[in-house]
Amino acid sequence: MSFFTADLISGLISNFIQFLLILLLAPLSGGIIKKVKALSQKRKGAPVLQMYFDLWKLIRKESVVSDTASWIFKATPYIVFAATAAAAFMVPVTTLVPSAISGDLLLLIYLLALGRFFMCLSALDTGSTFGGMGASREAMISALIEPSLLVSIFTVGLISGTTAVDQMMNTMKAVGVPLLHPVYILCFFAMIIIILAETSRIPVDDPATHLELTMVHEAMILEYSGRQLALMEYSAAIKQLIFLTLLVNLFLPTDQLVSLAGISGAGAAIPAVVIAAALALYILKIILASLVIAITEISTVKFRFFSIPNLAALSFILAFLGFLQYFVLGR
Amino acid sequence: MDDITPEHLLYGSILLYLAAAFAAILFSRSHKLCTIWSQVLCIAGAAAGTASSVALLFSGQESITISPFEASIPYLSISMTLDHLSALFLLILSILTFCVSIYSIGYLSHYHGKRNIGLFQFLYASFILSMILVFTANHAIFFFMAWEIMAVVSYFLVVFESEKEETRKAGLIYVVMTHLGSAFLLMAIMLMFYYTNSFALTPVSLDQIPESGRNIMFLLFLVGFATKAGVIPLHIWLPYAHPAAPGNVSSLMSGIMIKTAVYGLLRFVFFYLGVSSPWWGVLILLLGVISAVLGVLYAYIEQNMKKLLAYSSIENMGIIFIGLGVGFLALTQEKQTVAALALTAALLHCFNHTLFKGGLFLSVGSVHYATHTKNMEELGGLIKKMPVTAVFFLCCSLSIAAVVPFNGFIGEWLTYQSIFASIASGNAAMNITLILSAAALALTGALAAACFIKLFGISFLGLPRSEQAAQAKEVPFSMNLGTGVLATLCLLAGLFPQTMIALIDRAVVSVVKASAEPILRGSFLDLYRPINFSALLPEVSFSGSMTAKPAGIIAAPLVAAIAMILLVLAALLVLRLFGGAYRERRYGTWDCGFKELNPRMQYTGTAFSKPIKIVFKIFFRTSKDLKRSGDDFYHPKAMEYTIVNESPFEKYFYIPLLAWITNWSRRLKFMIQTGSVHTYLLYIFVAVLVLMLYNRMV
Repeated sequence: MSFFTADLISGLISNFIQFLLILLLAPLSGGIIKKVKALSQKRKGAPVLQMYFDLWKLIRKESVVSDTASWIFKATPYIVFAATAAAAFMVPVTTLVPSAISGDLLLLIYLLALGRFFMCLSALDTGSTFGGMGASREAMISALIEPSLLVSIFTVGLISGTTAVDQMMNTMKAVGVPLLHPVYILCFFAMIIIILAETSRIPVDDPATHLELTMVHEAMILEYSGRQLALMEYSAAIKQLIFLTLLVNLFLPTDQLVSLAGISGAGAAIPAVVIAAALALYILKIILASLVIAITEISTVKFRFFSIPNLAALSFILAFLGFLQYFVLGR
Repeated sequence: MDDITPEHLLYGSILLYLAAAFAAILFSRSHKLCTIWSQVLCIAGAAAGTASSVALLFSGQESITISPFEASIPYLSISMTLDHLSALFLLILSILTFCVSIYSIGYLSHYHGKRNIGLFQFLYASFILSMILVFTANHAIFFFMAWEIMAVVSYFLVVFESEKEETRKAGLIYVVMTHLGSAFLLMAIMLMFYYTNSFALTPVSLDQIPESGRNIMFLLFLVGFATKAGVIPLHIWLPYAHPAAPGNVSSLMSGIMIKTAVYGLLRFVFFYLGVSSPWWGVLILLLGVISAVLGVLYAYIEQNMKKLLAYSSIENMGIIFIGLGVGFLALTQEKQTVAALALTAALLHCFNHTLFKGGLFLSVGSVHYATHTKNMEELGGLIKKMPVTAVFFLCCSLSIAAVVPFNGFIGEWLTYQSIFASIASGNAAMNITLILSAAALALTGALAAACFIKLFGISFLGLPRSEQAAQAKEVPFSMNLGTGVLATLCLLAGLFPQTMIALIDRAVVSVVKASAEPILRGSFLDLYRPINFSALLPEVSFSGSMTAKPAGIIAAPLVAAIAMILLVLAALLVLRLFGGAYRERRYGTWDCGFKELNPRMQYTGTAFSKPIKIVFKIFFRTSKDLKRSGDDFYHPKAMEYTIVNESPFEKYFYIPLLAWITNWSRRLKFMIQTGSVHTYLLYIFVAVLVLMLYNRMV
């Protein structure tokens, strides 16, 4: 078994730790967003850690399953969770430690698509009107946002010549401050719109309501309860954190700052302090990104459903212009 | 046993199909015997065909040629060559035939005693045989003959249920369109002889045919093959012919017959004409993009399951054409590796599409067998009545929706990667075209997923919407076996794409003289090295600083699948540890406060696709009609709501064209065909005079 070298084993362990970090932090970003929103409305709001309590409670509760539902309904929460968590495995939190798992960004997108496919099916499985409505809307939103997502990925991937997540993050460090670069700032804003759409936030979807006129994601999981609901909610949180991590690690790379401060000798072991600093910076960036989303949610209203194509088109145009810039400005 | 060569197996396969055709006639009195004998012989033929093509692909031999007999007609040679490209297509054909024939044993039982099974079986076996001839002919005229046999036999199969008005109409549209395509092919083949004095399908050198001749021949070949492929705007026969044909026939037609066009393009354009002008590639790419996007949009709004699948075939042919177009463009820029990558993507998608679309058509055939309807608005809840069919249907749907870890994903991923590699190394003008095609492909992929959520969700989940659906029963074992083999292959091909790539690579090498395998060995098809185009493509130059990476695990679909299984187990464990034993209560779905949930409260297929229909309304010509009866506007006694989705291509192109032709023919009738013998004599005289003058001058 010469394949399993010491490097690989230590890499795998570090990957696993990063994976656990994502799983652990996932409910946090939603809590921050909710808290900021509540404060802006002069409410006290639920604690930032509320979602942890909710999940803890939900997994101990009895599940109610519809008479109409088939095995799809019961299998879906596990499939959605597995697909989302497997996607989380491919997203490095920090690039300081060489990653042993190299995931393709397209694979990540299609893993999330597996989750979405089953979520839509489970919504149709109960025979409820809400489920059908949610699934139909989700199908439309995801279809419209997909081109812009792909163009952004390609544009960011061009510089590193690959669509592997960790290598893309590595090369973005070399760009310096990507947000000052005309190519990446356009892609950044395209990505923000994509995240709003993919993670069911205002102005695309309203995560806080249960009103048939507005809800998309909530409508799909309406029939779930107990531990199945917990898994669905948790998967949604992980998905949100995956997208936020991609956003901050691609467009706001900070690892080079810590490595400058730390020991810069090549091949030298990276001290624990540096890694801790990198992780702290990562958490800080996630909080920042959550704030951006919260502020977006506060300052806009939910769009009429048929205005979403305009938003998707805007995102596509931004990404496309970014792509053109790449060739205008050179590499 | 070492004496068995690919030649023998190919002979054996052909003879077995011939035997199947004759067995059909021989046993035509007893339908049961006829079905079993003929199908078993077909299965054996398919097995021999598979063995033959695999043996050739792995033998290292370039090609084998068999000439059963000498033709006594000048300029015609009846000999078959199986080279790597042909072998790949023969393999696809044989795998599909194998499964469809198993399926047919059960499926045909509902025709027993009602129809001429002998005739059907005869046509079925000849249809497969004609496709083998198409794939192996090494002579243009022979190819054309096989092509025509295939067209005519498939026409008879389409109109097998000829008592239905719509089937006859479908057959007519099919036979007209397919012969229109053949006419173009024939012209191209005639030009071939005009320039080279030969019908042999060996690559021509650039100076043998002038530039203009090449361009004309390319266009003729493209129109001819695109008609068979059902590429938009030449697709109109496909949504009629596939639903009209019996389930097993539509599976063969969609699974492999339309692929003959891909084979034809590769053989006649890439291989024979060679690569010259870049605009050929742009044209192929453009046709692909249009077909992919419009095909999936039309599929999405369709309520007839088989029509939906037919439109989806158009979409998938579009994706294959995108791959071909990208490959062609790369060849014109002499980027052989990128071209090899793109062609691998196209051929892999071809292979995959055969597996999942064949399986889907068979499954829909099963649904039709059990419920006698193809309209998904009358179905629902079938997952409880037909659990096995449902699982296989779901597998194939997941494949076509390109989700991990099924095979559809690999094909689309490779197509994306080939576009990416082209962009990374291409020039700016081409890049805009390429990135827009990638965006279109992304839209297509997401819509295809939505489309199959709808197809599976509406027809298999929820409450049954009609009596037939509520009474449905699981289909016979042989039908499930046929579908099951395809569904399993879909999963296996997704998990172990290396095997497929290895098979396809040989065919790719024979066309572009370069292999994509070295690149893919570094990608996630291989388990342990990350993909990095900058290191792998000598044609691509990157300024981005890349450091060599240590060997790591690349998240291949197989790895992802294993990870997902582990994660499910972990989730179960954690939930059991912290949440205690699973407790469940069955209760009705939330019915919004009404008395109880009924099937009519569910979302319908029409409602499901409505948002997309509104967003893309520019592509649909929808007419709505709402009829109320009763005096009161607000409380009508009955309401009738009709939606008609018309195809804009028919409405604005084909129907006006037809009207124009009919009109002119009618007018010409009075101008030319006056009925007077004197005029006719004059025509003959003028014709003879013109011919003589022409001869003098030449």
